[in-house]
Amino acid sequence: MALSTKAIKTRIKSVKNTKKITKAMEMVSAAKMRKAVDAALNTRMYARFASELLDHLAGIDDPNYAFLEKRPVQKILMVVISSNRGLCGGFNGSIIKKASALFHDKENLARHRVVEGEETIPSMDNVEIDVLGVGKKSVAFAKRHDLNLVGVYDELSETPSFEDVLSISNTVNARYMDKTYDKVVVLYTHFQSSLVQEVKVRQLLPVCAVDIEKMLADLPGEESEPVEVFPIEQYIFEPGLEQIIEYVMPRLVEIQLYQAILESSASEHSARMVAMKSASEAADEMVGDLTLAFNKARQAAITQEIAEISSGAAALE
Amino acid sequence: MPFTIVTPNGVLYQDDVEKVTIPTQAGEITILEAHAPMVSIIQAGEMHIHKDGNVVPLAVSTGFMEMRPTGELFIIADTAERAEDIDLSRAEAAKARAEELLKQQDNMADVDFARIQASIEKELARISVGKKYRR
Repeated sequence: MALSTKAIKTRIKSVKNTKKITKAMEMVSAAKMRKAVDAALNTRMYARFASELLDHLAGIDDPNYAFLEKRPVQKILMVVISSNRGLCGGFNGSIIKKASALFHDKENLARHRVVEGEETIPSMDNVEIDVLGVGKKSVAFAKRHDLNLVGVYDELSETPSFEDVLSISNTVNARYMDKTYDKVVVLYTHFQSSLVQEVKVRQLLPVCAVDIEKMLADLPGEESEPVEVFPIEQYIFEPGLEQIIEYVMPRLVEIQLYQAILESSASEHSARMVAMKSASEAADEMVGDLTLAFNKARQAAITQEIAEISSGAAALE
Repeated sequence: MPFTIVTPNGVLYQDDVEKVTIPTQAGEITILEAHAPMVSIIQAGEMHIHKDGNVVPLAVSTGFMEMRPTGELFIIADTAERAEDIDLSRAEAAKARAEELLKQQDNMADVDFARIQASIEKELARISVGKKYRR
C-alpha cells in the first residue's frame, strides 16, 4: 500500500504545479486582455465614424472607381486572423471551423450583395479562395489543408499599432487593384464581452454598403440610431470626388482591418483567460479528489498494518 | 455646432463650438455653423477650434473631415494632440531626425521620401502648436 500512497502524492504535486502555471497564465492574460480591450474599444469610435463616412460614399454607384466596382467573382482572398499561440480555449478552433465552412460554400461567398435583396451579378463557377494568414495558427491550418497561402503575417505584437497593419492592408489593396482578386473578405473574432466572442466574416473589398452597415450594427455606440441615408449629391468634395475616393477608400480598408485585428486580439486574450481560469478550477477539483484518494489509501494501509500486528500477536498466544 | 475629433486612440475632443479652422489639402478652410455637407482630406498642420471666444490650437496629422447634413462636424485623423500634451523637445528631436534621414538618402524611393516629408510636416505642426501653449 505504501507504493500507492507515494504515487498519489506525486500526482498531487504535479497537478499543483500545473495549477500554479495556469494561474499565472490567467493573471498574465487578464492584464493583457485589459490592454487589448481598451485598444479595441478606443478604436471602435474611430472605426465607427470612418465606416459611416464610407457608408455614405458607398452610395455612389459609379463603376469607374475600382474600389466600388463589383466584378464577377473568380478569385477570393480570405484574410484569416488567428492567434500566434495556443492554449486559448476554442478561439482558434472556431475561426478555423468557420473558415472550413466557407470553403465548402464558395458560391455563396462569391455572391455580391446589394441593399435591396440578393445578388445582382452572377458569380462564376469554380471559385477559388486564397488565404492570407495572420497569426501562426491560421497559417498552420492553411498548410494542413493544402490551401493556397499567399501571405503570412505572424509577427504582430500583442498590441499591434496602426503601422503594423499597414503592410497587410497595402498588400490587400494592391492585389485587389491589379485584379488578382475580385473580392477580399476578412475572418475575425468579434469581442462582445470577456465571455462571449463571435466569429465574423466581413467583406473588405469591393466596398459595399450592406457589409458596412452590418459592421456598424455590431459596434455598440452610445446612440445606436440608424445611419440616415443622405443623397451623396448634396456633398461638396474638396478637392474633388475622385481624389477623395482615391484617398479615403484605402484608408478605410486599413481601418477596418486594424479594427478586426484589435478585436481578435482582445478576444484571444479573454478566451485564454477564461480557458486558464477553468483549467485552474479543474486542477483544484482534481487535487481535492486525489487528496481524498490519498487519505483513503493511507487509512487502508494503517488498518492493514494493525490487522497484521494484532493477528501476529494472536498467533503468539 | 457639434464637433468631434476621433483618432485610433479614442475621442480627443467633443463639444459645441463656433467655428473650426482646418488645414486641408486644398488649403486652410474655416467651417462655420450650418456649413454645406462636405468631405475633405486633412493635411498635417494646425487646427484651431473657436469656442466662447477662446481659441484651442491642436496639432493634427493626415486624415479626413466630414460635415454632415445634420450640421455635425467630424474629424477623423490619424493623430491629434492638444498643445498641453505636446512634448516640445521630443517633437524637435523627431523633426531633426526626419530631416537627417532626408539628407542622408539621396536615392531613396519616392514613397519613403513622401513619408519622411509628411512626418516633418507633422512635427512642424506639433512644434508650432506646442510653442503657442508655452507663451
